[in-house]
Amino acid sequence: MTAAGTASASASGTAGGAAQAIAGWFAPVVPQSRVAVLRTICYLFVVIDMHLIVRDPIPLSAHPELYQPLFVERLFRLPPPSVPLATTLYVVLLAGCAIAAANRLPRVAGFTVAAAFSWWTAIGMSYGKVDHDHLPLVVALWVLPTVGVIEGRWRSTQSSAQAGWALKCIQIGVIFTYFLSALTKIRSGGWSLTSWPDSSILMWAIVRRPHFLGQLLMSHPDLLHAMQWMSFTAELTSFVVLWFRGRLLLAAAVFWLGFHVFTTALLFITFAPTALCWLAFAPLERLGPWLRGVIAGWRQRAGRRATGHPVAVLGDQPVDGSG
Amino acid sequence: MRPISRRALAWRIVVALVGIGLLLNGSLRMSDDVWPFGPLSQYAFSPAKDATIVITRVEARLADGRRIDLPLNVESVGIGRAEVEARIPQILADPSLLEAVVQGWTVRHPTEPAVQQAWLVQDETRLAGGRPGPKRVVELAGWQVPG
Repeated sequence: MTAAGTASASASGTAGGAAQAIAGWFAPVVPQSRVAVLRTICYLFVVIDMHLIVRDPIPLSAHPELYQPLFVERLFRLPPPSVPLATTLYVVLLAGCAIAAANRLPRVAGFTVAAAFSWWTAIGMSYGKVDHDHLPLVVALWVLPTVGVIEGRWRSTQSSAQAGWALKCIQIGVIFTYFLSALTKIRSGGWSLTSWPDSSILMWAIVRRPHFLGQLLMSHPDLLHAMQWMSFTAELTSFVVLWFRGRLLLAAAVFWLGFHVFTTALLFITFAPTALCWLAFAPLERLGPWLRGVIAGWRQRAGRRATGHPVAVLGDQPVDGSG
Repeated sequence: MRPISRRALAWRIVVALVGIGLLLNGSLRMSDDVWPFGPLSQYAFSPAKDATIVITRVEARLADGRRIDLPLNVESVGIGRAEVEARIPQILADPSLLEAVVQGWTVRHPTEPAVQQAWLVQDETRLAGGRPGPKRVVELAGWQVPG
């Protein structure tokens, strides 16, 4: 081989390696049971969400005079909301979530829930107030069905890049909720890095949503400024979490979940859908075996009590007096 | 391991990149209108240390003469405070839009006396040096419920 040929082969090898690295990052091979478990959790959460968070589409749709369709509703020429329409979406979502949470008909039920919940949420945000805590959940609902049928569901032993891609998209949705909010703060402050953290935004928020902890902190504006700087810095640098693994990732998850607990205590803003989607980073494939172990333990103890004959369980402690 | 074709891998990466592009575009250039690709603008503005903070409310006079606050939330009137705040210019131009709040409250409180009049009001708190200062209540619009 000539020198030129070697260089060309090495260049194409490097390009191929880079493409493989990009593909491996966007679609890592992970256990499919992780997606099966996350599906169950997400679809059950959608039902909770419809009753506790985006719970107003039905009452709001009774006021067509206040409706201002979002771009997506205009783009798809969606009919204006009405009580029968919103109620139909509600019923479709309940049925779709029940089927999809059981990992049955994952594509049909999954995409139906994705479309219906996107519409439901869009209706809730077409009356003036647009929330931003649903980005990762909406992403999750659109990508989870793409993994298709998972044989064995929670018990699946197969791994796939399809599952890895779906989880990576949700992870990006979670982290971008923080990172993009930092970009928006920079933009709204006239492209300034200091305008938002130096402002009185937390005081403004506490005055409008007075709660116990917030009222306690009102007399300490300097502390509120320090908190603004900390949260802004964390948001702006949050994208590095996408490359974290192991304990560093766990530490980041604990930090951000703690952040949500704190904002809930301070302002009663939960960001529950975002917090829930942190599960896309978790080794959820361990949940099934752990739950089965717990249930087997209960059954064994219950059986032992019923018969009165203690049964020795390796590594277990006696639980009744006769043991 | 479940196999994946080059094509299936390619469209997934393209979709992810397009999604990231739309989200960046939304945050850097667009408005809330393009949800879910709009800017994450909740609490993303910068009030000054002497800003005026307003809390929008709707008050009503009932048939028994009481003037009460109609709490702006889904349980009480079927509409949240943010939805009413977003429609302030329209309500100022046409105060009869307050009917949505009055109607929502009446349906959910059948045992209360009828609402005769409703007002859109704001509690104003002025910050001084970043600390809460004096407060006042401002009446923005009023609407007489037709006979």
